[in-house]
Amino acid sequence: MSGSLWPLVKLSLSRDRRSAISSTFGLAIGVASLVFFVSLGLGVGRIVREKVFPVDTSLVEVVPAQLSFGLLGGGTLDEPTVARLEALPGVKRAYKKMNVRAPAVTIYRGDFFGRPLHMGLEILAVGVEPDFIKSDLMLGDFADPGPDKPIPAIASTRLLEIYNKSFAPQRSLPQLSGQMLAGFIFPVDFNRSFVTSTNPNESAIPSQAQLVGVSDRAMLAGITIPLDAARRLNAAANKDAKTFTAVTLAATDPSQVPQLVAAVKAMGLRVDDQDRRMAENAGAAVAISTSSLALLSVLICLLAAFNIAHAFSASVRAREKELGVMRAVGASRSALFRLVLVEALLLGLLGGVIGTALALLAGYGLDVAAVRFVPEFPFKPETWFERPLWLMGGGVVLGVLAAVAGAFLPARHASRTAPVRVLAG
Amino acid sequence: MIEAKDISREYDDGAKGRLKVLDGVSLSVAQGEFVAIVGRSGSGKSTLLHVLGGLDTDFRGQVTVAGTRLDGLPDAALSRFRNETVGFVFQSFHLMSGVSALENVLLPARFSATPVTDLEGRAKAALDRVGLTSHAARNPGQLSGGERQRVAIARALFSSPKVLLCDEPTGNLDAETADGVVALFKQLNASGLTIVAVTHEDRLRGAASRVLTLSKGVLS
Repeated sequence: MSGSLWPLVKLSLSRDRRSAISSTFGLAIGVASLVFFVSLGLGVGRIVREKVFPVDTSLVEVVPAQLSFGLLGGGTLDEPTVARLEALPGVKRAYKKMNVRAPAVTIYRGDFFGRPLHMGLEILAVGVEPDFIKSDLMLGDFADPGPDKPIPAIASTRLLEIYNKSFAPQRSLPQLSGQMLAGFIFPVDFNRSFVTSTNPNESAIPSQAQLVGVSDRAMLAGITIPLDAARRLNAAANKDAKTFTAVTLAATDPSQVPQLVAAVKAMGLRVDDQDRRMAENAGAAVAISTSSLALLSVLICLLAAFNIAHAFSASVRAREKELGVMRAVGASRSALFRLVLVEALLLGLLGGVIGTALALLAGYGLDVAAVRFVPEFPFKPETWFERPLWLMGGGVVLGVLAAVAGAFLPARHASRTAPVRVLAG
Repeated sequence: MIEAKDISREYDDGAKGRLKVLDGVSLSVAQGEFVAIVGRSGSGKSTLLHVLGGLDTDFRGQVTVAGTRLDGLPDAALSRFRNETVGFVFQSFHLMSGVSALENVLLPARFSATPVTDLEGRAKAALDRVGLTSHAARNPGQLSGGERQRVAIARALFSSPKVLLCDEPTGNLDAETADGVVALFKQLNASGLTIVAVTHEDRLRGAASRVLTLSKGVLS
């Protein structure tokens, strides 16, 4: 068929404008709510994944077993064990980690970025290999400088976020960035504690730490220092300076992780997947909430499709004579079927586009309102929404599909119009 | 132009069983003929017209119109036949409301299987043939009964059909207007168009070159 149905489609829609507007509105509401909630779910999921619980899916954190089996193997993470771990299939690299096993405190009195600060804090420290955090390094080469020199230290990105959004506003302290912190030196006394008793025969090891960057891979409540510095400090404090606290295995591919975890457990070691599980749980909670709301939106779209089915059934019944004339002047059954479906498709397209635009507008409105009216808090995002192209396109496609599905039976009815019956008299 | 052989058509008549409307009707119409088929209401005149025009396919027998054998023809081919070979004129005009006379005349073009050039020019020419050039922009609601029927005739003429099939074309018109429409049919027939009209009116009967009577399903 080469004739254009558009004039007839336009005519039909313009004649039954109220029904067309009602059908389009129903679809637009369904599509808008779906796009809005999925966009919100994706956005919140991204915040959880990238900011609150940043988990590198290709990393496996290996820790010693809680019970050591001695000669039977398992237990400590020493150099031979690390070598065996690194030799496992699917391992690209093994990064050793060693806690500073002596307690440590920092007592800061002085100028803190233009504000006087008097603070005493118990801190934890972990030593890592330079390669583990090199991409986040802003200063120096992250090597142990030896005694009497400031130890390079990396702070946690999340800790900085909590400081900026919670602590600093409440204490009228300045907002800080990683760049501002780079080079900041503060005192650290190892082998000293505010909360636990230390051996009176062992004297404190006065030292200094210099912040050289911030990283998602750094310890959350403490400082991350070079592995060799941790070894040196443990030796100086008469602590274990040979076995490691943890080994982070970098898998060649995230798909290798399940096999790696199984192999690590077979070696009698444990995998610390607390962060991963928290991220997964939070992600699952977001996904479930999003799915529930998306399901509700799909139900709205279904209702819109029923509304369209009803409206088109009425329209086809009212146009029976007209459809009969069309048959008489040469319309085939398939042409009439297409005619009704194209009408629905147009409404669906319009409803999909309007709905998607409404969802975008509502999202931008909510973002602006959040910036203006929601107080600052850690990990507060600039936008709560993700707006991938596939979602925008999906909204429009959903509108079209709902409309076409709703109009299918009326279109079939139209195609079966018997001209002899409707044109009689 | 038209060869119909042994056409039979029955309807389901509810409790009464099957009602035979056409009973072995045979008909031959030459090109350029103006045939009027008369008969009482319910005699099967419209049914015969619908069979000849490919609107009713539920019949027995053979029908050939302008070289196209209609019995057993698939829907797409039958639709093309109705679009290109025949034009229908109905008693109730059956124009689309809310659109202009010109758009009504253009309706067959919307379903044409072959590209039609200069659509508006052709539609205006069809309106010109029925004397309604100046009414092209008017909606059916703004036209008189006679003018509406002329628009319907222009729509039937749009595709330059070989046969015009008219079902009581003057049934809804007053005498004066009906005379005008009959005159138009005569004029169209004089230009070579084959016309088959079913009617029970004398004026149309008088205009035809041949009159056939359908009674009890039999044509005589």
